[in-house]
Amino acid sequence: MGFLAAGLGAGIIAIGAGIGIGMIGKSAVESIARQPEASGDIRGAMILTAAFIEGVALFGAIVCALLALNITV
Amino acid sequence: MGQVLRRVITTILFLLVLNPVSVAADASGDNEEPVIDVMGKVVDHDYLELVGGAKVYLPRIFMVDGDWYFFVNTQSAVDSGEFEMQESALVRADGESISLDMSITSHLMYVWFGMLLTLFITFWAASKYKKGVGAETEPKGISQNLFEVFFVFIRDDIAKEYIPGDKHKKFVNYLFSVFLAISFMNLFGLLPWGVATTADLTVTATLAAITFFITQWNGSKDHWQHVFMFPGVHPAMRIILTPVEILGLFTKPFALAIRLFANMLSGKIMIVCILGLIFIFTDIFGPAVGLSSSVFWVGLTALLYILKAFIALLQAYIFTLLSAVFIGMAVEEHHHEHESESSVATATDVQV
Repeated sequence: MGFLAAGLGAGIIAIGAGIGIGMIGKSAVESIARQPEASGDIRGAMILTAAFIEGVALFGAIVCALLALNITV
Repeated sequence: MGQVLRRVITTILFLLVLNPVSVAADASGDNEEPVIDVMGKVVDHDYLELVGGAKVYLPRIFMVDGDWYFFVNTQSAVDSGEFEMQESALVRADGESISLDMSITSHLMYVWFGMLLTLFITFWAASKYKKGVGAETEPKGISQNLFEVFFVFIRDDIAKEYIPGDKHKKFVNYLFSVFLAISFMNLFGLLPWGVATTADLTVTATLAAITFFITQWNGSKDHWQHVFMFPGVHPAMRIILTPVEILGLFTKPFALAIRLFANMLSGKIMIVCILGLIFIFTDIFGPAVGLSSSVFWVGLTALLYILKAFIALLQAYIFTLLSAVFIGMAVEEHHHEHESESSVATATDVQV
């Protein structure tokens, strides 16, 4: 059961994080195309926001790892 | 000449990637064990693995009820009769619990290596600037130029950008040293027998705790006012807002620690798992399939290594950047309530 939950959870995390980071990438590329001179600032903001999404996704990934490895905290 | 050098370096790099494979192949000789021990590659050990797989056992230091015990390594602790092994962990032979375990472990050693390298590089650069090289003249040589690129990047693009006013000068030291130290700690994980010590929650939690204390010690009046007496809202709302804000103080460094830890850990587990596919394939389909598929897995691992080298620097950058953002939020002083509304909005957006 733990393995099933971990696998499903990891998949859902990947979906969520993928959508999130994809949207950041989409809007960042659009903004750079619209205003190429601001690409440096946009890139910084993009990395920062992607880091937040990644952080949340990795929280979930850790929970999945704990489930799969049967570690009780 | 340059072509020859490039070829030699490329060959060495490929051999370095292949080497852990051969070591792991030796280790998977006995059939009773699981095919590949993923977590064993990730967790802390009581020895330091040298080039070639030789092990140097590290000292164990315990405190039991105020008495200190020093042992040269785990084996001598067991030999003394005071401690015994139970499920690969040392416990007291007489059943008492160890009150403090100050043993030196492989992760701790690599933290020290990272710090020593940081100290060495910064002191070396400082001595150069004191002599006037770089301060009055142009910086000389590749290493000093490289140092200056990183330092100016941290100072101008991170510290100046996110910490308002003249206050950034105070924090450039911390931000730069934490960036260098985390970069080195991450990059050590790419060495064939090295350990990415940031794949340990205790290490990242310590780093995040340092950021936390620096942030709170330098908190301005407005920072604390925002925590306890959020301005401009109905007094009854403060019953809800104050606990949330106090919680927010702790979730920020917590997220900082988890992010670095999980990134490095997942990179490490991924590499072990993909290399482990060779042995899993060998176990299921026989050595011929394992051998022929290994070309693919080793290639994939090489790509992952490049990705990991990038992620190592990126995570160090993100840790430094977020530290700067949190410090900047804490030291900021709002003189005019209405003008600073936009900065308040970004401050609350940057929660996780």
